[in-house]
Amino acid sequence: MRNSRVALVSVLAVAGLALSGCSASNGSDAGGDAGTDGGYNVYALLPQGNDQPYGTNYLKAMNAAAADMGVNLTITNAEYDSAKQANECSVAIASKPDGIILWPAAVDTIRPCLEAAKAAGIPVNASNSDVLPEDKSLVGTYTGPSNDGVGRAAAKLIGDVLGDGGGNIIIVQGLSGNSTAIDREAGFRDELAASYPNVTVIGQQPGDWAKDVALTVTSEMLTSLGEENIDAIYAVDDTMAAGAIEAMENRGIDPTTIPVVGTGNTELGQPNVLSGKQYATLFQSPVWDGENAVTYIVDAIDGKTLEPNYFMPIPEITKDNAAEYPAEW
Amino acid sequence: MSTIKLQETQTGTWNRVKSTVARRTEGRAVVLLILVIVVIAMQQPIVFNAYGVSLARVALVGLVALGLTLVVLQGELDLSVGSTLALTGVVVATIPDLGLGIIVGLITGLVIGALNAFLIVIVGVNSFIATLGTLFALRGLAFVLSDGRPVRVTDIDSALTFGRELLGPLTPRVLIFILLFIALQFFTSRMRAGREFYAVGGNRQAAIDAGIPVKLRLFTAFMLCGFVAALAGVINTLELTAADPTAGSSVLLASFAAVIIGGNLLNGGRGSLVGTMIGAFALGLMQVGLTFAGTPREVQDVLIGIILLVAITTEPNNLRALSGRVQRLTRGKANASA
Amino acid sequence: MTHTEIIKTPTPASIAGGSGNSASKTVAWVASRGIFIFTAVLLVFSAIFVNGFASSVNIIDVFHRASAIGIVAIGMTFVVISANYIDLSVVAQIATSGVILMALSPTYGVLGAMAIALFFALLYGLVNGISVGFLKANAVVVTLGTTGIGAGILSLVTGGTIYYGPTGGPIDAFGDARVGPFPLSAFVLIIVAIVASIVLSRTKFGFMIRSYGSNKQATRLAGVNSGGVVVGAFVLTALAAMIAGFVLAAYSNTAVSTMSEGYDFRALAAVIIGGNSLFGGRGSIFRTFIGVIFISVLSNILVLSGFSFAWQQLVTGAVIVFAVALDALARKAEKR
Repeated sequence: MRNSRVALVSVLAVAGLALSGCSASNGSDAGGDAGTDGGYNVYALLPQGNDQPYGTNYLKAMNAAAADMGVNLTITNAEYDSAKQANECSVAIASKPDGIILWPAAVDTIRPCLEAAKAAGIPVNASNSDVLPEDKSLVGTYTGPSNDGVGRAAAKLIGDVLGDGGGNIIIVQGLSGNSTAIDREAGFRDELAASYPNVTVIGQQPGDWAKDVALTVTSEMLTSLGEENIDAIYAVDDTMAAGAIEAMENRGIDPTTIPVVGTGNTELGQPNVLSGKQYATLFQSPVWDGENAVTYIVDAIDGKTLEPNYFMPIPEITKDNAAEYPAEW
Repeated sequence: MSTIKLQETQTGTWNRVKSTVARRTEGRAVVLLILVIVVIAMQQPIVFNAYGVSLARVALVGLVALGLTLVVLQGELDLSVGSTLALTGVVVATIPDLGLGIIVGLITGLVIGALNAFLIVIVGVNSFIATLGTLFALRGLAFVLSDGRPVRVTDIDSALTFGRELLGPLTPRVLIFILLFIALQFFTSRMRAGREFYAVGGNRQAAIDAGIPVKLRLFTAFMLCGFVAALAGVINTLELTAADPTAGSSVLLASFAAVIIGGNLLNGGRGSLVGTMIGAFALGLMQVGLTFAGTPREVQDVLIGIILLVAITTEPNNLRALSGRVQRLTRGKANASA
Repeated sequence: MTHTEIIKTPTPASIAGGSGNSASKTVAWVASRGIFIFTAVLLVFSAIFVNGFASSVNIIDVFHRASAIGIVAIGMTFVVISANYIDLSVVAQIATSGVILMALSPTYGVLGAMAIALFFALLYGLVNGISVGFLKANAVVVTLGTTGIGAGILSLVTGGTIYYGPTGGPIDAFGDARVGPFPLSAFVLIIVAIVASIVLSRTKFGFMIRSYGSNKQATRLAGVNSGGVVVGAFVLTALAAMIAGFVLAAYSNTAVSTMSEGYDFRALAAVIIGGNSLFGGRGSIFRTFIGVIFISVLSNILVLSGFSFAWQQLVTGAVIVFAVALDALARKAEKR
């Protein structure tokens, strides 16, 4: 009886693990040994991937660039769990790659990873979310958007459209505790304080990067703060901006009367910008992000002199120029 | 597995071995672990070369799973371990003095354990429900204290020192994990108070009748569980040099899986820390192996899901019963692999 | 089987018991209906003190908050009452049905897409149900496994693509439609609640599931097909999760593989706050419904009052602890 049980477990588990064996061998083919085809082995430690719209397109661009440049990429996705990413970093360092691309799950938590990579002599570049200023000496360079800068640009758009009189605005935030969301908000609030003292943030709720959540909380903020008291809305990305716009439409408010600023120029957001329902967005390109992460890690491995930052251009997109920038995600 | 071998060499009696095996609860975990080790040895031997990294991965979830086992042995559950981990991390990082922070953090864990036990033992709430409440409340508290963003520890250099290898490639986390396992294993197998955990979980009424201080044992288990989760939170924070209020969200289910795969009966009374340890190793090594192989996250999720499902559904008695039913239904020859 | 032993454990109150019989009966009566009283108090309090709560636009928002989570919670009630704790895989199930609806409607039509979603819902329900009911595996680990498989495959197939329907299309129209101050999804919630309630309280299956949950051993001895009962519970949960996926997708006219994160424990919280017992015996769809209303109103007024996410979490958790503690005290009082 016992034997039959063990046999059964074995058969099933072997079947499962055989699958893992297949994918494992695929993985190691892709990861290959250094020198087999002359390409560099690079680990990309990411907090998202095919589970998010941005990550999906970032990955596509990254893989395409790696194929072009003969780089063997191994990609991890920590799902914004910093402990998991720390472990993936240890795995990466133990594999002795030629370089590491690090998109931090939470920037405050990556110092040990950077120190360990430095000790192992592996160059690390930050991608998409920059490291803290005090950790800057530990990375070769940073490629990606300035999240702080994205927030500042959004503040400028809102401050300028409201004019000298200023006004009251609400923020629809991303997922609570998410570092991109935190950085964008910090830049946004700093810029308002510095340049637009007449603009006041009177409400803020997390929309969890999701349209349905953004729709509900925007509607609730409109209820509690009064539609007439809200002069503009900053939605930290376009998906949530779409939710904010729908919340207004559901209440019979013409969305052009309350300017909404988002981020992304996404497939969901661009039509709203083109139709004027969304006042403006900031074009953040996952393609630029993914490509340049690979380009500059190769430069770092080659020992080229790098600038501290290579910031992605973040064009302001309004109804007038939206058609020139096709949506990427 | 070591138990089995020991018995074999000591007695050499096949029947003794068979009865020992029948009494043990770790069989499934052992089979899984052996398979994982064999496949890794063939596909990704680097997992063993970089054993410091692999052990760190196992310890990440295994530590919490050890604490959880104590509660499960008594037939109870603690869903708040992930939130406890996050909250204590934030406490440690918020207090400027690292030493004081660690002490306060660990005390926080004990207090949370006592609070859970109070709700369960004194008020009489079912543990699954009570800790579901604390799961939300403690996570909220972690967000309130940290203002919803990661908090860096003030004394970064000391924290960095903590995260470095202490003994060979072994970090303090791994050493603490091993020591804690030995201590708790000793407690539950050699000390009376610990052995009584089984009685409390097996048949509570009988335990009361036998004069076992059931309430005290429940308090002990929950406070130890809270303490161990807090310890994991402290270690996490020191290793990362920062506390993240979202930390530990995946720890609950992962440690739960290790406990169950390890053969611990959720109704209590049967199981062991050895089983949990083996379960944690099997799952942890599997993840490390898949990460080394560069397997995409989604494929990892699917594979681990399949293995959990297969491992949990292959209880021999149930399969036998099921195949009996199938045979009766079909009146034909159906074998156990149906 | 040890479940029943656990609840039969003598508590200090039951040992002390015996005194003040009629008074304790009153306490028990009040306490066991605690959630109804709390909900009533919360509604009155909110209407008076929370600015904008009673407005018709806000009632729509409360129902939008309640509908998807409520439908899931009503389904989950069957799993809870059958003493199987939770179905974690509802997260994957909701996203699967939502994504299928939005992604396949253009090709197969709305009904065609729904039929495909139904296939996957039944698959989830059967795999979970057979594993738990016939193979006697632990429900938490089984559904953890099926979540990994389902969510992983969904993510592999769709990536992070956000699927959105045409504005003004039938799905969008459904999401936006309302009757008086009630969105159409509120009626879906109510219909699901009524159907589930009839199944649970008026059918043989409902009777079996209730008695199975309260005493697995006795039910098995009485010759009840216990495995079939559990399969039924998981299939009903899966059907509810599927409907919730449709409702959620229609609400925002979008679907993405991550759309239902957190719905597992939130739905369970609603079931528990309603006062449903994890061990059968006491449990009803109406209780779950009230639990859902309570949680939705609570979240709504916390946002209306400008509380941050952190405080919302903290207050929600504290309320759950309070509600279940009161429920436990009621149980003690009942036993006297």
